[in-house]
Amino acid sequence: MEALSGWGDDFFQGSVVVAQVFVASLILMVIFGLIGAAAKLSGNRLARTIAGAYTVVFRGTPEILVILLLYFGTALTLTAIAQLFNPEIRFVDVPPFWAGTFAIALIVGSYATETFRGAFLGVTPGSIEAAHALGLSNLQVFFHVRVPEMWRLALPAFGNHMLSLIKDTALISIIGLNETLFVAKQAIGATGQPFTMYIVVGLIYLGFSTIITLTVMGLERYGNRHLRQGT
Amino acid sequence: MTSETPLIRMQAVGKRFGNFQALANIDLTVTSGERIVVCGPSGSGKSTLIRCINRLEKHDAGRIFIGQTELTDAMEDLNAVRREVGMVFQSYNLFPHMTVLSNLMLAQRLVRKMPRQEAHDIAMHYLKRVRIPEQAKKYPIQLSGGQQQRVAIARALCMKPQVMLFDEPTSALDPEMIHEVLDVMVDLAKDGMTMICVTHEMGFARSVADRVIFMDEGRILEQAPPLDFFQNPQQGRTKQFLSQILQH
Amino acid sequence: MSFDTALIVESLPKMLMGIGLTFQLLILSAVFGLILATLLMLMRISGKWWLSWPAQAYIYVFRGTPILVQIFIVYYGFPQLEMIRESVLWPLFRDPFGCAVFALSLNAGAYVSEILRGGVLGVDRGMLEAGEALGLSKTQRFVYLTTPIATRLALPAYGNDIISLLKSTALASTITLMEMTGIARTIVAQTYAPYEIFISLAIVYMVLTFLIQKLVARIERHLGRYTLKEG
Repeated sequence: MEALSGWGDDFFQGSVVVAQVFVASLILMVIFGLIGAAAKLSGNRLARTIAGAYTVVFRGTPEILVILLLYFGTALTLTAIAQLFNPEIRFVDVPPFWAGTFAIALIVGSYATETFRGAFLGVTPGSIEAAHALGLSNLQVFFHVRVPEMWRLALPAFGNHMLSLIKDTALISIIGLNETLFVAKQAIGATGQPFTMYIVVGLIYLGFSTIITLTVMGLERYGNRHLRQGT
Repeated sequence: MTSETPLIRMQAVGKRFGNFQALANIDLTVTSGERIVVCGPSGSGKSTLIRCINRLEKHDAGRIFIGQTELTDAMEDLNAVRREVGMVFQSYNLFPHMTVLSNLMLAQRLVRKMPRQEAHDIAMHYLKRVRIPEQAKKYPIQLSGGQQQRVAIARALCMKPQVMLFDEPTSALDPEMIHEVLDVMVDLAKDGMTMICVTHEMGFARSVADRVIFMDEGRILEQAPPLDFFQNPQQGRTKQFLSQILQH
Repeated sequence: MSFDTALIVESLPKMLMGIGLTFQLLILSAVFGLILATLLMLMRISGKWWLSWPAQAYIYVFRGTPILVQIFIVYYGFPQLEMIRESVLWPLFRDPFGCAVFALSLNAGAYVSEILRGGVLGVDRGMLEAGEALGLSKTQRFVYLTTPIATRLALPAYGNDIISLLKSTALASTITLMEMTGIARTIVAQTYAPYEIFISLAIVYMVLTFLIQKLVARIERHLGRYTLKEG
């Protein structure tokens, strides 16, 4: 256990990176999910097909493959583009943070597409009709009726997406992101205690997923407060 | 069981669900061959009463005897009692993944340990009695509500029980299918089957019952043979209930 | 930037040589995972706290930590423990294949047990009561009534989990196993052609995913034949 003492700070830094990736990819994931759901629900055939392809591709491909492809692929492409301007350039580096964040946001976003789509469909038509009948505009109906109800329905599955997101951040260590697994590798090099170090990483992630689970439970209770009968 | 021992004896039976008193101080004796109809407003405890008899609900006060056997937590063989008590549910509760025939044979083979052929023959016998032998190989979903309920009755009969319990057997049926089920129940009564029937079908009560029991708020308020019950209800609540239910 | 189709044609067979290993990982982990999941599910629904709580804790830990971390703990971490090195199972844990199957099985067990539990909870209570009233014992009801119906209910979610398991096999490439992703990464390292290699590999995974989905749909239709009104 003394082996840990030197590494507390580093693990903390690594955890901060995990949190940063999580927040960034969460925002992107919601955006991708909403766009995808909107596309799937739209009348536009092309939009539906592209959204369909999006979900098939990213649900059928291993996460690590997407991360590797995005990372090495963009590096290659950016290098090629840069070389057009300046043939001297050998290699353009893509920050693993962004390649990884983007990759996992795309992946979980494809699952979120289905979740949001199902949730939008689950909004009772009755409440929408009533809102229109009361004179609310389409935009008002969207924000005051559809969206709140959709969130309530989507919340359990969305909680799972958030858990997937936080766990997928571990994969980004493969392309060199300086998060907890990466720190662990260095710590192992110095201390020769792989079991201890990886257990620490496991506990860190367990901590994160616990926070997420508790938050979702709280949000669910808040979201369903109008459904609970008086005691 | 001798003909002196009542089939069912309930003494000061009570049952609570949390704070709600579903049954209070129930005294009831049923002898072999009796046909009893239990009626009352919803929430009066009628279902709970009969579900205590085959211990789908456990009573918390008083004693229940099925023949010589008392229903307790420490009882040795609950399933032995359940073999003798048949139950028909409001929502039929057939096994959806099995054919009608298999529905009828399963308990015979697993509980009464009957050989395949014998179970099959008994099943077909009762299917004929409920007048739908041609449905033997169908799945429940392919049958109408009335047919499903008749299969449910046949399924209970295949176990050759001493008493049949009916929990609002026609309440979930479309009106035009009610009589086909009631006809089967009347036949059963004519053959001497002991039955306790929770139902709103007062016509059935009038023609078949030996005794009509009125329950309200977990208690038995009144019981009498149908003639007396319908002509001369004693309690205010009974009169009120009858006037409401006999409107249409 | 050109698309080197010749490279794809040359590399695809090489990557497909890894498919045997991919399937071995998939099938072994699926089978062991299912056995473990059944055990965990029975513990969860047993009603006895001393069975239920350990099962819940197990599921919580394995669903709350990244599978990559679990793999690393087994492959890199276990050798640190004397208990493991001196045990009869050492040959298993010394071998990356054994480690991968072990970790994937433990992980799958946790996820699948929740899926099985969902199926069991979805069985109609009324039907089970009818079984009770007929005198069937608890075990008889579980075997003849609960199991067939719960299996059908759990199948869609289980199918999705098998697909997840397929994608997780790609992580075995991080511990030196030469399944399809492992081979692909080697080729990319040599040829600097991430797009051609990774995209064609992604297509292979997507095809496998599609085939698994079709198979599951087939089984679903067969199991659900009693739910159709037409004979």
